[in-house]
Amino acid sequence: MRNRLRELRAERTWTQADLAAHAGVSRQTINAIEQGKFDPSLPLAFRLARLFDLKIEELFLDEEDA
Amino acid sequence: MQTHNQTQFHQQGILSAGQLALWTVAWVATLALASFGPRLLWDAQPAVSWVAVAANLAVGVGWIVAHARYLRSIDELQRKIMQDALVVTLGVGWVGGFAYVVAEAADLIAHDSAIGIFSALLGVVYMLAIAAGHLRYR
Repeated sequence: MRNRLRELRAERTWTQADLAAHAGVSRQTINAIEQGKFDPSLPLAFRLARLFDLKIEELFLDEEDA
Repeated sequence: MQTHNQTQFHQQGILSAGQLALWTVAWVATLALASFGPRLLWDAQPAVSWVAVAANLAVGVGWIVAHARYLRSIDELQRKIMQDALVVTLGVGWVGGFAYVVAEAADLIAHDSAIGIFSALLGVVYMLAIAAGHLRYR
């Protein structure tokens, strides 16, 4: 699953550690999600979307739709 | 409020990891006591040996509970890495253990089984599997 996490984080000049602190997860988790190595659970995906004031489908993109 | 909760979550993770480490040390210590005590400390008195085994079992239950609490306190990627490592360790223990039992029953192994070495092997497999998981998701 692709996502816009890195792009949106860069817009806010947040480091991975900043975003991890806001989302309540480890920096490793944010890095793995950004690289597409790990798909977050629905609760974490909603939490990340809320942090960027986006809908979940605006943050996470289905590869088949791309 | 959110940051406060996240700090609490982080502190809870550190606390759980510390408790797990203490329970692990306690379990290894009681295992060593139950294993070597009869020969080295109390001259194989059965009553004392039973107390040592019971203590090892009781601390083992505490260790399992501490491990479950630790898994609940870490985030979902770390939990996945731990669970994957547990799957590998369980598989190695199950497959390797039964292979050893079969080989021993067929008189293919000359010396007695060493449960301590087997436990240590599983510990090493668990640590290697955790390291591999961290490398995979780094």
